[in-house]
Parts: sequence; C-alpha cells; structure tokens
Amino acid sequence: MKTLKLALLGGALSLSAMGASAETFRWASNTDPQTMDPHAVNSAPVLSFLNNVYEGLVRRGQDMSIEPSLATSWAPLEGENGWRFTLREGVTFQDGAAFTSEDVMFSYQRASNEAADVRSWFAPVSDVRVVDDFTIDFVTTAPNPLFPDSIANFMILDKGWAEANDAALPARDAENFATMNVNGTGPFTLASRDPGVRTTLTPNANWWDNVGHNVTEAVFTPIGNSATGLAALLSGEIDFIQPIPLQDIAQVEGRDGFKVLEGEETRVIMFGFGHEHEALLYSSDVKDANPFADPRVRLAAAHALDLASIDRVLFRGKIDTASQLVPAGISGFSEANQDRPAFDPDRAKALLAEAGYADGFSFGLKCPNDRYINDEALCRAAASMFAAVGLNAELSTGPVRDYWPQLRADDFDMYLLGWSPGTFDMEHPIRFLLHSQDNDKKLGSWNFGGYSNARVDELLPQIQQEIDPAARQTLVDEVVAITQEEVAYIPLYTQPLIWAAKDNVDLIQRADNFFMLRWVTVN
Amino acid sequence: MVYFILKRMVQSVFVMLAVAFLAFSLFRFVGDPITQMTGVETSVEDQERLREELGLNDPFVYQFMRFTGDMLKGDFGFSYRTRQPVAEMIASRIPATLELGVVALIISLLVGVPAGVYTALKPRGVLTQTILMTTLVGVSIPTFVIGIMLIFIFGVQLGWLPTFGRGGTVQIGGWESSLFTIDGWRALLLPAITLGVYQLTLTMRLVRAEMMEVMRSDYIRFAMARGVPTASLHYRHALANTMVPVITIIGLQFGGVIAFSIVTESVFQWPGMGLLFLESIRFVDIPVMGVYLVVIAFFFVLVNLVVDLLYVAIDPRLRIRDVS
Repeated sequence: MKTLKLALLGGALSLSAMGASAETFRWASNTDPQTMDPHAVNSAPVLSFLNNVYEGLVRRGQDMSIEPSLATSWAPLEGENGWRFTLREGVTFQDGAAFTSEDVMFSYQRASNEAADVRSWFAPVSDVRVVDDFTIDFVTTAPNPLFPDSIANFMILDKGWAEANDAALPARDAENFATMNVNGTGPFTLASRDPGVRTTLTPNANWWDNVGHNVTEAVFTPIGNSATGLAALLSGEIDFIQPIPLQDIAQVEGRDGFKVLEGEETRVIMFGFGHEHEALLYSSDVKDANPFADPRVRLAAAHALDLASIDRVLFRGKIDTASQLVPAGISGFSEANQDRPAFDPDRAKALLAEAGYADGFSFGLKCPNDRYINDEALCRAAASMFAAVGLNAELSTGPVRDYWPQLRADDFDMYLLGWSPGTFDMEHPIRFLLHSQDNDKKLGSWNFGGYSNARVDELLPQIQQEIDPAARQTLVDEVVAITQEEVAYIPLYTQPLIWAAKDNVDLIQRADNFFMLRWVTVN
Repeated sequence: MVYFILKRMVQSVFVMLAVAFLAFSLFRFVGDPITQMTGVETSVEDQERLREELGLNDPFVYQFMRFTGDMLKGDFGFSYRTRQPVAEMIASRIPATLELGVVALIISLLVGVPAGVYTALKPRGVLTQTILMTTLVGVSIPTFVIGIMLIFIFGVQLGWLPTFGRGGTVQIGGWESSLFTIDGWRALLLPAITLGVYQLTLTMRLVRAEMMEVMRSDYIRFAMARGVPTASLHYRHALANTMVPVITIIGLQFGGVIAFSIVTESVFQWPGMGLLFLESIRFVDIPVMGVYLVVIAFFFVLVNLVVDLLYVAIDPRLRIRDVS
C-alpha cells in the first residue's frame, strides 16, 4: 500500500513537470518503421518516418506538389530521353560530409540494386551520369515527363559513410549499420532507436532550409492497440496520433484541449472482379460460367450499391465517392468522366435480367478485415445491398497477411482493393491495376482479376511518354472512359484520413498520410 | 536429485522440439511473409527471388530441420521484418515480460493470501461477500477489458498513472529494469494489476478453501482447546499448512502468466516478448514467432521443474521416496 501512495505522489509530481517541456513533441502511430534504411523497404511507415531524416532530389510540399530539395532545378536532357538535375551546393550530411553528385550516383546504385525494395522506381532508367560535382543526368529509355515526381521518396545517403560502415547495399538477410543508424541531410537526425518501443529524433542544426518547426526533441512510440493510443493522447502522454478509428472521433472532439484532423487520403477503395475466370469459384447455382465476364453484370453490381447509406452509417459522413481509380485533385484525374453509377436497384435488376440472370446468382466476395478503415463492415453492407438485387455474395474476410496470397492465387469471384497512387498520378493505377498482367514487363502486377483491354495497353506507354499535358489528359480520359464503360472496377470512395492532436499543436496533414515533423509547431 | 534434474532437462529438449515442430506446421497457414516484407510496387519477379533466397519454397520438413539445426548451433536467425538478430530481439524483451509477470505474481500473493485468510475466518462477513463478489466479477471480465477500464479510470480520467509503455527504465548490465525508478513503478502498476487479477482470485479462493479445511482439522481444534493465542493459531499453524498446495498451483500458473501476458502487453503497449510476438504475427515474421514459441516452451518446462523441486523441498515425504 505504501508503494501505491508513493506512486500516486510521483504521478502528481511528474504531471506538473510535463507541462514545462512543451517543445518535446511526442507522437504515436500504429506501425513502427521496420528499418532506418531508406532503400530496404518500400512501405509507407518507413518512407514517412525517414522523410524527416533523409531527403531526395525533389520533395513534396504541403499540397503534395513537387518542389526542389537536394536538387535546385531539373530539366529534360537535350538530344536524348531523361532529366538533368542541378544539385544544391553547400549541403552537408549530418556527420559533416559534403553532399555532391557522387552521393546521388551512389544512392542510385544502392537503391536500384537487387537487394533494394525500391528498385522499381528506376525501371525506366537506362543510365546515370555524373556531369560535375553538382550536376547529374538520369537517362531514361523513353521520354518520361513524370520521372522527377516518381522519385520524391528516393532518399540520398552519404557514399563515404555507407561504405565506411559496410552499408553499401541495403540489408537483405542480416541487419547492417544503416538498419539502425542514419546519416541524412534532412531536418532531423536520429538520437536513439529501440525498435518497436521508442525512437527519438533531434533537429539537425546544420539543415540547409529555413526551420519552420519549434521541436527540440521528437519521441515516436508505436502503439498497435487503437484504444491504448487514444488513451495515451487523452491522458496527455502524447501530443499527436495517426490515425484514430472513426468511432473515436466523438471521444476526442468531446474533450477540451484536443482536436481531430480530417482529410482525404489519396487511396480509392474499389471492388474488383475475376474478369478472366472461366467460372465462378464460390457459386452454389452458376457452375460453368462467369457472369462477371459480362459488363452488364458488373454494371448491375455498381448500381446496387447505396454509397450514401454506407457513408452515413459506416463512415459518419466522412467519405467522398469515387468515379475512377484516383480522387479528384490528383494529376490525370479525368474531369470528363467524374460521374459514377447511381444507386438504382431497379436498373441493376433490369441489367441482370438482360444478361440472363433475372433470378440472380451467388458468388464469393473476399475482403480483408485489417487493411482499410471499416473494410469488413463495408463488405457486409455491400453484400446485403448486392443481395437486394439478387447478387448473393458469400462473404469471406481475413487478415491482410492471408489476403494478398489468396488474390494472387486467383481465389475469388469479387474482391475489395484499396489503391493509393504512389506517384500521385493516374498513370500509376493504370500501370498496376488496368494494364494486362505482364510479369516480364512488370505491368499489371496488382491486376488480380486479369482485366485486359488492348486499347488500354496501347495507351499506357503513350501516357507515360507524352510531354504535352493537354494531349496526355486526352489519352488518360480515353482510358478512364473505356474502363468505366467496361466497369473494370467499381470505384467506391476515397478513404478518409483521421488524425488527432492536442489543441496546442499545429501540423500539416498531407494527403499521402506522411507526417512531416518540419511543419510542427507546439504552442 | 541430480538425476532427476537431468532427466527433466532432457525431457525439456523434447518438449521444445515438439513445440517447434507444431509451430512450424502452423506457420504455413499464418500468411505470406513476402507480401508483408515488400512494397506494393515490388515486381512479382523480385518477390519470387526473395522467396527463393529465404528458402520459403523448400519443403516444410526441410525448413523445420534448418530452423532446429541452426537453433542447436546457437544461431537463432534474423527477423524478416527488421533484419535484426532474433536472439537479440527476444533477449531485449525478456526483462519487461519477466518483471511484469513477477510483480503481477507478487501483487496477487500480497492481496490474495490475506484476503483468502480473512474470507475463510469470517465466512459470513459483509466484507467477505463483497470481496468474493468483486473477484468473481474480476475473473469474469476479459483481461483486455479490465486493462482498458483501468487505463481510462487511472490514466485518462484521474491522470494518476501512465497509460502505456514502461516509463523510466534503468540499465543494469544488459537488463533493462523498471523496478528502480518511481516512473517505472507507476508504469508497471496498472499492467501488473491487470495481469494479476486472475492469479489473485485463484490464490484467494485456494487459500480460503484450504484454510477452511484446515480450520476444521483435529490439530487446530486441539490447539484451540489448549488456548493457543488466535493469531498464532491462524497464521503459524493453520496458514503454514495451507501454503503447500497453494505454492504448487500458483507456481504452475506462473508459466501461464509469462506466456499469456500477450493481451496485457498489447493493451498497455508493454514492450515485452508478447508484444513482439503479436507484431511478428502481423508481419508473418516466422523466425521471431518460431524462437518465441520455443523460448516460451522452455519457460514452461523451467517453471514446472522449479515447482517440482519446491514441492520436494517442502514436503519431506517426497524427499524420502526420491532417495530410496
């Protein structure tokens, strides 16, 4: 009992001490970045975290636009395909070494190596040439207007540091020095790291850019359990958490001193079909045909969905419906095609009857239950809406670690997918979701249902190479029109982005769900 | 005695092998590590190469043999998720789990034994009924609900105790301890109570039942008739005899406390082995899961061995049989 009293007394003491050090900024997220190596894993938690420490040639601003970072300017090469980057002079790494084009060259070789998970970014690159200390050329196999945008997360390491510490390649089997240590040019540097427990960052005093934050120390804690994370915020132990579940919004808003930050992520949630399947796998009534091969049936499924109700009941009015695979505002968004099939059960039934399924049919619907916000609830709601027009969905859900292997094994009739365009351009989902599956060319790798349209395949390289924005948009519009016409997917909505913070914290919620410490001010 | 310990040690190796085998046969159903290790843009070709490199295409028996072979050589492998050595990862998490388990056990004994004695001596008292009811509710509610309730009451509403993590820790020769700072104890209290509630109830009910039994026995009645002072009667003569079975059961339960602290660790973001295991499941980090399960099996075997030895030490009759 004595211990308890002591502990309580200690509690009161340290609570009053907490208010004094306002510039130590504590934040939490549900996933720990698994490595400090910017080339080892291409995953959002890692890239988001390391963007505070490392920098690329270009970076994304608060509105996602591309702006100069370690490169001050860039221009297309003359006489060949590719880009020339002019590098910033006078930049030093956190250990004091000077930043030059050799470091960019080294980082390119490191990041495009087989051991690097980010090497797909450099698939279009055929050659890289150092011109002088502050000029470097990236030669591409074809015109590539989007190349600078596509390498915003390509982070630059110091050649000397990496080589001296045996970290010239990303760790593949065992860890290496760069797994736990950093040496970037960015606004923050790593003060301590305890994987899965706590990671501390301190400002880089020699950062080249104007400091816009007032953080003297930033402590990151992964908190996997969302209720624990919420309690940590409400008890004042952390200043900011990303994300919080929709159902906790009211809890946060109901308390003085806290705020909820809401935005739209760039991730579009959609249903996909087994286009190339010969027959349904999970049907109890249609054995030897695949009704979803018929675009009328796919359109019927789209008309069966009442997104207004889904928004109201499951998402508390936080979602925007989607008409195509990217949300409005992303480059390449087709304004000419921004209508989506309305909720119209009668039309859905009529379409099914036209396709020869007046009595409907049953099929298997696969959904993850831990990947997207309310994913399982969404699928339950959708299944009952499908059932209302005669599409009897046999729903099966599972954790995402089982889910992707099932989709890769073609084990579905219809499935749920969310897609965030990594390059923030429409070309990205066309390349991964709409182009025919082609492992050799590394195209259509997430086109699980095997959607295939010769014209779309033909348009993709043209879109990738077209320099003129208006002409490019015409090509993109055509792809969007074709895939809407054929109902390649049913785009549903853009996933909401819900963060929560103390009232005295100002920060920027960027649409890619990256959290940048350089925009944080604690008042 | 030496023979006895040796025999148990050999048995423990077989238990661990069996656990590893069972674990490995289940890992195929946990999910695909490759899709968790790579980004969305990684090509199918690169994924396949990684799968080949990690030996995931090899037959299950071959993978199991390689795992156990490496373990026997002292090579615990590297995590798929963080690429750190698994031995190091697990070793760094053991202190947190052990301290949590031991403190939970101590709390359950410090509260459970007196409460058990009291409820046995005053079976019809109002306080007794209250204690019995409260603890019954306590064991009926799932651990994570108790944890969340404690967090919201003491962490959020009252603001007395931290809601997550270990608080201030001190490094003592590779052992990261939270037992030497006030901050550490404050952070430890809620998770230890959450983890200890079940043990506490069990201890209390065991002590109560045993105590009531003993109080009816002849030697207590005789001592009472002789006029032995009540305090001495209750605590020296009755309680001492109660403790033999209690220690056995509680000891055996302790293995479970260590193994099943997973839920408590997850609710309090307590950086112990259980939390590491949960993260590993999420990322299909097979090397970490495998080693964790083997380590837990070892703990179980060890705790059982210690309990057996304690039993022998406490009960003279067993000692005589062992010598013969």
